[in-house]
Amino acid sequence: MQITFDKNSLIIDGKRVFIKSGAFHYFRTPGVELAKDRFMKLKAAGYNTVDIYFNANYHSKNEHEYDFSGIKDVRKVLETAKEVGLFIIARPGPFINAEVNAGGIPYWVLRNKDVIPRNRIGTEYHYSPEYMAFVREWYGQIIPIIKDFDNVIAFQIENEYATDEMDEGYMKELYNMARELGITCPVFHNDAYNAGLWAELVDIYACDIYPYINPNQNWKQDHFCFDTIDNIEDTVRSFKEDAPIFIAEMQGGWFDKWDGIGYPAMRAALGDEHINIMTKTAVSQGVTMFNHYMAIGGTSWDDLACDEVYTSYDFCSGIDEMGNIQPNFYKAKEINYFLNSFGLTNTGERENLDLGQDIYAVRRKDYENNCNWLFVRNMNSYDVGLESPTYFSHFTFHISPYDMKIMLENFQLNACKIVFSDVEIFARIKNEKDEILFMISDENANMYLEFENTPHPNPLPQGERGIISGKKRDYEFLKYEKHGKTTQFLFISRELANRTWVLGDKVIFNADFVYSNGRIALSKTTEVAYFDLVNGFSKKYFKFQERLKTIMLKDFEVSFCAPEIDTYYDYSDWTKVSEPFDSLSCGMYDEFVWYKTKIPDYLEEITLSARHLFAVYINGKEVLNRNSYKYEKLQQIEETISIPLNKTILTKEQNELTVLVQNLGFDKGFSGDTNHPRGLVEFSTKPERKLDFYVREGLSLSVPESESPYMAKLSTNFNVELKENVVFSKYLSLKDFPYDRATIFLNGVKVGRYLKNNKNCSLQENFYLINTFLKPQNTLDIVIWDKASNIKTPWDFKNELKHVIMQVEDERIHQLY
Amino acid sequence: MSIIPEFLMKRVYKKGSLKQTDEGVCFDLKNVLGPGFISGFGFVKVNDATFEADKVKFVTQGNEISAETVTEEQPISFRLGQEGTLILKGAKCLKDGINQIIIELMNPEAGKVKLSLSDNFQGA
Repeated sequence: MQITFDKNSLIIDGKRVFIKSGAFHYFRTPGVELAKDRFMKLKAAGYNTVDIYFNANYHSKNEHEYDFSGIKDVRKVLETAKEVGLFIIARPGPFINAEVNAGGIPYWVLRNKDVIPRNRIGTEYHYSPEYMAFVREWYGQIIPIIKDFDNVIAFQIENEYATDEMDEGYMKELYNMARELGITCPVFHNDAYNAGLWAELVDIYACDIYPYINPNQNWKQDHFCFDTIDNIEDTVRSFKEDAPIFIAEMQGGWFDKWDGIGYPAMRAALGDEHINIMTKTAVSQGVTMFNHYMAIGGTSWDDLACDEVYTSYDFCSGIDEMGNIQPNFYKAKEINYFLNSFGLTNTGERENLDLGQDIYAVRRKDYENNCNWLFVRNMNSYDVGLESPTYFSHFTFHISPYDMKIMLENFQLNACKIVFSDVEIFARIKNEKDEILFMISDENANMYLEFENTPHPNPLPQGERGIISGKKRDYEFLKYEKHGKTTQFLFISRELANRTWVLGDKVIFNADFVYSNGRIALSKTTEVAYFDLVNGFSKKYFKFQERLKTIMLKDFEVSFCAPEIDTYYDYSDWTKVSEPFDSLSCGMYDEFVWYKTKIPDYLEEITLSARHLFAVYINGKEVLNRNSYKYEKLQQIEETISIPLNKTILTKEQNELTVLVQNLGFDKGFSGDTNHPRGLVEFSTKPERKLDFYVREGLSLSVPESESPYMAKLSTNFNVELKENVVFSKYLSLKDFPYDRATIFLNGVKVGRYLKNNKNCSLQENFYLINTFLKPQNTLDIVIWDKASNIKTPWDFKNELKHVIMQVEDERIHQLY
Repeated sequence: MSIIPEFLMKRVYKKGSLKQTDEGVCFDLKNVLGPGFISGFGFVKVNDATFEADKVKFVTQGNEISAETVTEEQPISFRLGQEGTLILKGAKCLKDGINQIIIELMNPEAGKVKLSLSDNFQGA
């Protein structure tokens, strides 16, 4: 595959291609079967590219060891993308951000004190040969895989990188390394600041654009948030004139945080209007390469998440965390189909039009289709009627609040000409003789046509010109003929358009979704219509036989699972450490780290700071259980706590001190440093006494029962019927869960962290039971680490836990035909 | 720590705009970074003199805004390309030649943002 480019677009094997990409994290959607499901949905929605971050930390848990086997087999993921017919944008970092733990840099790299991650401290450049040794090692592992795929159309070095003086050494080395290791496609970088960073160093300049990053912001009210994308063409052209305009991350949603607002509220805030505005504005600005970030949500299972985000990385994506289709997916599909129908890879200069207050309007000449496109956005809170700016002073069109339309001017079709249309085009399919345009019916919109022969069925207006109302029923059509060629307009409502799928020259109507291989998915008994230009319409009736199921989980087996807290617990084989005690310094990378030592009875006080949650036990009794996780204005608030000690706590000459620290991940590295310490970061005693700790990481889920009632494991089994031709997504519901903290394991795999925040609510109550980890017979373990106030006697607590009720529910279920 | 590198922050300051007026010391800012909000003014320091928010006003798009009234609850929008003048009320702290300026602002997304820069001035 030969990939070149000019200022207009990427050119693949000699053909201009508009790159419509969606971002996907294979590590958050583990397993090739899930990847295939998501890729086929992406392709069916008109995307032609999948954007893939490669996460070094996911593959390298031990120094110089890389695992690309099983669910970590990225070659299989790339093969699947190729099979499905998607191009690939490869982004192997080494730093990727992506709200993953340490931005994707392996822990063992961070642990090396000589390493300066990303060659930068804060925003100051410090070249680190030790870091570069890791980079060479990682690129040496991942690039040989990537370069085997000729459908990789672009390769990114680093991510959102800048330093105060913009020293070029590191970035130049990355570029050269990529080339030396065999990358032949265009190389780019993703500039977070839209400031032309590294524009001279890379082949194609690219940037990210996120107008909505603050959930408290009302983007409809503060719509100047689109200023950057509204000016992106001029901005990018001032940096790079000879390459296509590429938005490497164009907002397709946003991530929620521990202290956020929850994905349902965020989805409601973004609606499907936001992606509509973003994407159409980008096209109006001459962008011919975009990547919706994210197009596919995922799950931060195991320890994937950075400290900011909870388990669900749904991202309000078009394809949500559980693989289900959301309204913004339909909107993206609609725009992709439009772009697939008309190309728009070779447009002329942009003409900015002033059509009124809070109206964005742009016209572009299209040299490929020999027509004009008029892009109009209404940011008023009310419907506006506007006049077509050039051709028909009396022709008005309407735009709904916060809507954006692409309208057509002067387009010659086979048998008629669209002089102006604000009835939006959903898709066009054609062959040498016939063409059909699928129009989205709209009672406030019209098509202004010129035609010689009257349309079939009975002409609406007579004569050479006519205004065709967009108020039409589903499947209503008009057909024009001229010199043996035909043009047909077929109208569908937006609701039907959402359920309409264009696969090459075939159209499928009324399906929940289709895969790119043509299989259709339904969630109820449905009549599906098929159309192609040769055979016309046909219909088929499908009977849906599945039912949504709820599995009640109760009568749990309960056991106390933290023997580490018990007095006389043997920890002699743990690692002995002296200060510093933070987890990296101790070589402990797990979310949970245990610390044990002996303290004398004369201590008056211990003082400690730990990230992020911790509990202190003395002689097997809890003296403090604290959630120290607090962020304000993007900065973690440090918390240091002193615990006064007395004879009622220190009951022995030598007392056993146990500290359990749960860290929620390392900093993602965008604004902070990835190697900012976790675990027990400060510890001192009064009077001062130097202590060593014995440390070990991880929870012990399968040990003899503990005496200590502070951490309890609830276990149960449930069965799942895995059927061919049935697509389902199941989740564990912790709605009304009475405890503050829980860690969820499905068949031994950590699939969720439940944590009530400082507002005493958990923003995530439904935990996706990732299909890859589901079996016909499943074991679910839920480890509850709760505050002492919940504990009466161990027996009471156990009894209370036994009566907890949870549910495994089907989010959606589809039958494939 | 600011997420925005220093060299980018410096672009917000309009070089050569530093002047002494009857109202005080003033200079111009232009948002070349991206649309957003200012949710607070920390302080402005010119050479050795520090001016808290109550001694600072911001004039933009014809509005005079007292810096102390800008808060997280009452932020002001600062659009891409928007310009404004910061006035240090009653200040007379400029010297001929290079003057050192530090401006501390708050932004809801970026947190505390500090601009450290210098500008030439003649006519003290």
